[in-house]
Amino acid sequence: MADVAVPVSLGGQIRLVAGLRWKIMRNYLRQKSNVLDFIGIVTAGLCAAVLVVGIGFAISFGAHAAVTTGHFSWLTLLFLGILVFWQIFPLFAAGLGVNFEFRTLLRFPLSLSAFYLIALAYGLADFSAITSVCWLFAMVLGIATANLALLPAAILISALLLLMSVTLERLLGSWFERLIAKRVSRELFFGFVILLSISGQFVKPLIDHFDNRPPQALLRFMPYLSLTPPVLAGNALNAAEAHDFGGLLLRAVGLLIYVLLFSVFLWQRFATQYRGEELSEGTAPARSAPRVKSAAIAGIDVLSFLSPAVAAVLRKDFQYLLRNGFLLMSLFMPPFLVFLFTAQFAGAHPWAIRTGVSTDTFFPAMIGYLLLMLMMPAYNCFAYEGKGIQTYFTAPVRFRDVFLGKNIMHMGILLFEVSVSILLLVWRIGLPSAPVFAATLVGMAFAGAGQFALANWASLCYPRKLEFGSMRGQHGSGVAIWIGFGSQFLLGGVCSLVLFMGRWTNNPWLPAEAFAALAAASVAGYFSSLDGLSDLAERKKERLIEILCR
Amino acid sequence: MTGAAIVTERLTRRFGDLTAVNGIDLTVAAGQFFGFLGPNGAGKSTTIKMLTGLLAPTSGRMQLLGLDFSSNAVDIKRQIGVVPEGMGLFERLTGLEYLTFVGRMYGLDRTTTLQRATELLEFMQLADRPKSVIADYSHGMQKKIALAAAVIHGPRILFLDEPFEGVDALAAGALKSLLGRMTERGVTIFLTSHVLEIVERLCSHVGIIHKGRLVAQGSMEELRAGVAEAGSKTTLEQIFLSIVGQDGAVRPQMEELSWLM
Repeated sequence: MADVAVPVSLGGQIRLVAGLRWKIMRNYLRQKSNVLDFIGIVTAGLCAAVLVVGIGFAISFGAHAAVTTGHFSWLTLLFLGILVFWQIFPLFAAGLGVNFEFRTLLRFPLSLSAFYLIALAYGLADFSAITSVCWLFAMVLGIATANLALLPAAILISALLLLMSVTLERLLGSWFERLIAKRVSRELFFGFVILLSISGQFVKPLIDHFDNRPPQALLRFMPYLSLTPPVLAGNALNAAEAHDFGGLLLRAVGLLIYVLLFSVFLWQRFATQYRGEELSEGTAPARSAPRVKSAAIAGIDVLSFLSPAVAAVLRKDFQYLLRNGFLLMSLFMPPFLVFLFTAQFAGAHPWAIRTGVSTDTFFPAMIGYLLLMLMMPAYNCFAYEGKGIQTYFTAPVRFRDVFLGKNIMHMGILLFEVSVSILLLVWRIGLPSAPVFAATLVGMAFAGAGQFALANWASLCYPRKLEFGSMRGQHGSGVAIWIGFGSQFLLGGVCSLVLFMGRWTNNPWLPAEAFAALAAASVAGYFSSLDGLSDLAERKKERLIEILCR
Repeated sequence: MTGAAIVTERLTRRFGDLTAVNGIDLTVAAGQFFGFLGPNGAGKSTTIKMLTGLLAPTSGRMQLLGLDFSSNAVDIKRQIGVVPEGMGLFERLTGLEYLTFVGRMYGLDRTTTLQRATELLEFMQLADRPKSVIADYSHGMQKKIALAAAVIHGPRILFLDEPFEGVDALAAGALKSLLGRMTERGVTIFLTSHVLEIVERLCSHVGIIHKGRLVAQGSMEELRAGVAEAGSKTTLEQIFLSIVGQDGAVRPQMEELSWLM
């Protein structure tokens, strides 16, 4: 009977959840494709680790230099950098917030304390948290090697900052989760994140505008910054170095107050969630609307030149695109970034590189960049199909029609983005020379067609389901991502070689001719691959359905 | 076999060491309303997936409408309709968009597709939410749109995996009458359901699968004759339990759960 169940201790509950996570991971790795996926993610993680360790060394040297030269304000800047990274990176990486699996634990008799501590532990498992902890550790090392007497103070301050940061990140995460619960606010927020991510481009002109001096308005705020955690941390270590232990203690207490304050807020948030308030997205009931008669929507079929099945897939993908706010908004990014790059790297500009990159160099680079950004989704083209993938196998169609529909849709997006970018280029700095223009566009046909064949194969072999209209944890299969990048760099290398052939031989039209031959072969290869891919789809259908219907 | 809509010979499907479907020889005549029953994990969904092209058999043969499935898959799919397990819906399309998509995938022209889609939405009482995407539908509404998509091209065989699960009584009544009219017009319906009363009321013939093997097949009268004592009216539930429960597999060992009593 239930009344004989013994309450599980806090430690026991945390151990159970840790064990659960481990078993989920172990079972996940039992399948070969998941192992490959995992290897892909680990490889990407190793690359990121090299970057983290490299920056860690720089931080350690910086902290060492700050202490040895007595510039303790540098420590403040390092603390500030780590804190900002810890809090801001998750917004960009879309990894913020307690994930769904974690929330499902609430149906078990888990205590609020265990729920709170597990949530904090989840916060420490984020990439941004692990990285920030490594960098804090690097700072402590740098400070200790400069002055060993500062080690206890450095450990104390770093530990307080760590506690404060992880609590704050969880707190911001829970608020953020509530903010993005509605589709409209979610999409507005995503737009804000995009704008924030590109606002760095305006830092340089702003600095130039203020003649390399901070504006007076900003300076008036400086005294208030002394109460912020990074300044408290930096000043605490400065006080420790001056043997002012009262000052050290006072600032440590200041940091502790931050920890307690954020903990109280976070406890309240989780207590609300613990009581059963659902913070994730939900479906609002729709209002009834007037019925639509078929005659009213019949109209002219603009896709009548395609076979019905190809047109149906294309139309369906277009409707999906229109309803996927994140995907749609992400299409604004490439032309906008092209606009910014034209301002910074090409042509003459008052605050950029005085001798701009020539249009003949900029244009192929721009197309390469657009292909790199826009082709990646093609490597997981069934990501949003969900259970609908079964329709492709129950309907009387060959899978080549499905691929054709999807690839035409993708090609349409690519052409639209390229056209907008070319218009921006013409407006900003003009067109490149005719041979380079022709060679680049034909080269794009070669690289695009070649990639579609490979991307279709990767989509069948390494599918990954993505949640529609969601930011959190959305990425393709690790293997597919590496295949995508690998093929892009390989094709980019071939294209670069062909483009340089024109310079080496002093024959400006040679690259266009070479690309035309390559493009013809590539397009022929693409069409001949479709039948083989149809057969492959039949062989892979069980796995495809299993993954996408989960 | 002449007049047979579905014929399988030694149909087998293995998943590693597990044999989910083990050498099934099944025959369903054209125009039959066939109920396919079995306990959980017996192999019902695996069989229906093989018959609809969602899963390849490990061995054995399937013939639908006189055509061998392996060599005529596309021709066969054109003549069958499916409500698969999980329904297989594109949830970010509206009901009309989804039906239009399916109609076009089955080769209907645009005008016919739109006309049938509109009629089906009206019949299924889904027409008053033209702007709602399927993801926002209730479970029962999703079942109805899945069924509408399965019949939009006028299939000769209809495969339904648990079609009444989550559907309210009013809608279920309408669906049953629709399915009844379809069989009257010669459509073969192959249905799986856990609700034995529905199968008993709708189906003229029944097959029972247990542990991957077809343990009984025939008309309701034939099955009753096999298990009933003279003069008694046996229900499908009694038939089912007497066939599947013979080895005690479906009888929970309640005496071993004394702590729950």
